[in-house]
Parts: sequence; structure tokens; C-alpha cells
Amino acid sequence: MKVVVTRSGGFAGMRVTWQVVIDNLPDASDWVVLLRELPWDEVADEEPQPDRFVYRIRLEPLADAEPPQAEREATLAEKQLTGPWRELVDKVQDADTPADPPAKPHPSHQHK
Amino acid sequence: MTRGTHSPSHTCRIVPPYLLARIAEVDDPNWQHAAAAARASLLRDDPFRSIRAPEPHPHAPGVRTTTKPGAVANSPQRTVSTAAGVEKLPGKVVRREGDKPSSDVAVNEAYDGLGDTFELYWEAYHRSSIDGNGLPLNATVHYGKNYDNAFWDGERMVFGDGDGQVFNRFTIAVDVIGHELTHGVTEKTVGLQYEGQAGALNESISDVFGSLVAQYAKRQTAAQASWLIGEGLFTAEVQGVALRSMKAPGTAYDDDVLGKDPQPSHMSGYVETTDDNGGVHINSGIPNHAFYLAATAISGNAWERAGQIWYDTLLGGDVPSTATFAVFAAATVAAATARYGADDSATHDVDGAWRAVGVVPAG
Ligand SMILES: [Zn+2]
Repeated sequence: MKVVVTRSGGFAGMRVTWQVVIDNLPDASDWVVLLRELPWDEVADEEPQPDRFVYRIRLEPLADAEPPQAEREATLAEKQLTGPWRELVDKVQDADTPADPPAKPHPSHQHK
Repeated sequence: MTRGTHSPSHTCRIVPPYLLARIAEVDDPNWQHAAAAARASLLRDDPFRSIRAPEPHPHAPGVRTTTKPGAVANSPQRTVSTAAGVEKLPGKVVRREGDKPSSDVAVNEAYDGLGDTFELYWEAYHRSSIDGNGLPLNATVHYGKNYDNAFWDGERMVFGDGDGQVFNRFTIAVDVIGHELTHGVTEKTVGLQYEGQAGALNESISDVFGSLVAQYAKRQTAAQASWLIGEGLFTAEVQGVALRSMKAPGTAYDDDVLGKDPQPSHMSGYVETTDDNGGVHINSGIPNHAFYLAATAISGNAWERAGQIWYDTLLGGDVPSTATFAVFAAATVAAATARYGADDSATHDVDGAWRAVGVVPAG
């Protein structure tokens, strides 16, 4: 299972992506618990606020996973990034840190 | 940029499947609060000199002006707080109106930027603060940790310190402060939705008046101005001069890691995307460049005729919250006609500027 967090918007309007494959991590079971408890279907529509970030959180199943993994996705306004959602994003950002880490969020900015 | 192991290939590039298209509601409850705050401040003993609001220009469209006749504050009422590195608002007050400068540069930059923004709106357009009614200007600095953003939440300006790798502190550029407060002005006037073309117009209006705040503070003519947005915001490691360029959209940065400034300067480059509420910070390059072309064709100080036309457009009642570029363009031409006449060169310059970026004023 790959967890992908994409942040767009903000004053700069730049897109940043963080991601981590959890299956072989030592704390994989903690991830699974956290992912299962997230309220995926209870994210309310939030009207856009100028220059705030928008977070898209996606679970991408691995092709060869056994049993098959479910694909999930939620889009959250920055204001909605609280509780377990915030915990997840922090975890993904921490896990997706290269060998020579700068301060997070590290600059894997990209467009489109 | 030359930082260590970073390369664009570090992350997988994903085409975003979708972002829910959401329609902003015009009646934002934040504004009810802001309006209440404004009323409360008017009821208190006003420490400022009160003067009569100037009479509207005889040819000015005045249908939707929010400036009521009578006493309005002609100087800002600023309060700067610090969130001290956490994402909590409003934080602790560190500098009130009239207080001596702080030892904290971000506090002083916010304070001064709020003042510069108030000054442009008051001196150039006789608008007293965001609501035209002396709304107190509140800012919070040091929001969050490595927070790469600044925003207006309906009540206050909020500034992050940046991550130090890509971004410096967000108070560093006065046009950023003018940009954020202008989101408040836009919300109070045309109430443009923050999505698609209306959202890109919303963004552009903030860049236009943000740039004019900087130009007015420096008393630069249209020819002298840099027309850059967020100059100084990038650290020295980034290959770029600013976040956006109104003079030459798409040229503000071209960096190994960040990539290239994606802004188009013409409708032929309009970007369809589901990120960023439909690319509002990308497609704003088109109306931004139209303003630049109009202001430089008119020449002189951009805040005078060009800025006045854009400001009149916000108050003129011709811009629906769902406006497209073409509808907004027509409203600027109508505002120029109302103020200067159909045959005035400024009106022709505005019309020509839109056509030059591939936007034909509607109707
Ligand atoms: Zn903005």
C-alpha cells in the first residue's frame, strides 16, 4: 500500500507530494490501524479559502498485494486537516524524508 | 538549486484525478463576524481623527460602494500578534497601533505592510480599510513551523516563517501583505468565487493591488516598477527572482527542483487542472498581464488611472461572483468609460490590453 499526500494551493500555488510504501515498514501494523480508522467517507465539502492549502490523500494499492488492497482517496481543505488526518500527513511527511533531509516540507514541488 | 540529494525524480509525479469542484458561497460567515467587529470598532471611542468621506467622483460607478457617508477612520488600526511557531490563532499580541517597533523583524514588516496597504486604499481610492469602514487590521506572524504560506482567514492576515530552504518569511514582501488584504476587499465587493476563471480573477485582483501597494510605497511609475509578486520570498538557493511576474508571466523562476514558473500570459496558455481550485494561482497570469499592459500603455503611476479603473470595476456592480475573464474585461472597459469616457485613450488602452492577452470583452 502506497500512501500519497499531495498539497496544492497556497500563496505560491505550488504542488508538493509526499509518499511512502508502508507494507515493509517495521510499524506497518500501526499504519494499517491509522488508515482503517480515518473517516474517509465523512469529509464534508468545504468552500475554498483564498491561498489556503488543499490536501489530497490517496491510498494506492500495490499490484501484487495479497489479499488485494483497496484504493481510497479524500480531499481536505487545510482547515479540515485535524486529528487522525493530521497525524497521517505528519507521518507521511516524516517517512518520505531523503537521506540528507532538509526541514520538512522538503521541496519536491511540482506543477500540474 | 543545488541542495544535496534532491532531484525532481525523488517523488513520483502523479496526475491528480480530481479535486471536487466546490462552489463558494457568497455569504461567508467569517464576514458576518468581520462586519460585527467593524461595527463594534465604530461604536468605541475612536482614537483617530474622523473626517467626512470624500464625495464620489461624478462619473464614478458608485452602485455597490461600501463606504457610507460620514465619519470613517483615515488611519489604520493595526494589531500584530505572534503564534510563536504553532498553528493557533490569534496568538499573543506583540505590537498595537502606535507602539514602538519590535525587535522582531517579522512583526515590524507586518505592521508596516498593513500600513502601506491601508495607505494605498485610502490615499488613492478613499477607501478606509478592507470594508471601507475602518475595519481594524489584524495580523499574526510566526504561524506554524516551517510554514510556507500566508493567507487571509476573513478576520486576519496570517504569515508563516517559511521553511528556510525554499521560502523565507512571508512578511518579507509588501506586495504579499497587500495581496492578502485585497482578498478581503474582493470578498466585500465582487465576492468572486475562488475557483476556475472567477478564482483566477480573484487571485489577479490581489496581485494587482498587492503590486500597487508596493509601487505606491516606492512612488514608482508603471515603467519603473518591477511588477514582480513575492520578490525576496525565495531563498538564495532558488533560481528565481519572485513567485510571479505580471510583466512577463512564466519567467519569475526556473529552478532545478521547483521547475519553471507555470503562469501563462495569454488565453492560449490557459491551464486546465484540478489542483489549486482550478489553477487559480496559475491562470491569474492572464488578467495580471492585461493589467500590466493597460497600466504601461496608459503610463505614469499605475495606481492612478489603471488602478482606479480596476477599483471602480470592483464597486461597479457589473461583476458577478461567477465572472469569466471576458465578463470581467467588459466590466473594466465599462468602468473606464464611466470614469474617463468612451473615447479616452485610457479606455482604449484597457480594451486593447485584454485583446492582447486573448480575452475579448464580453457583450
Ligand atoms: Zn491569493
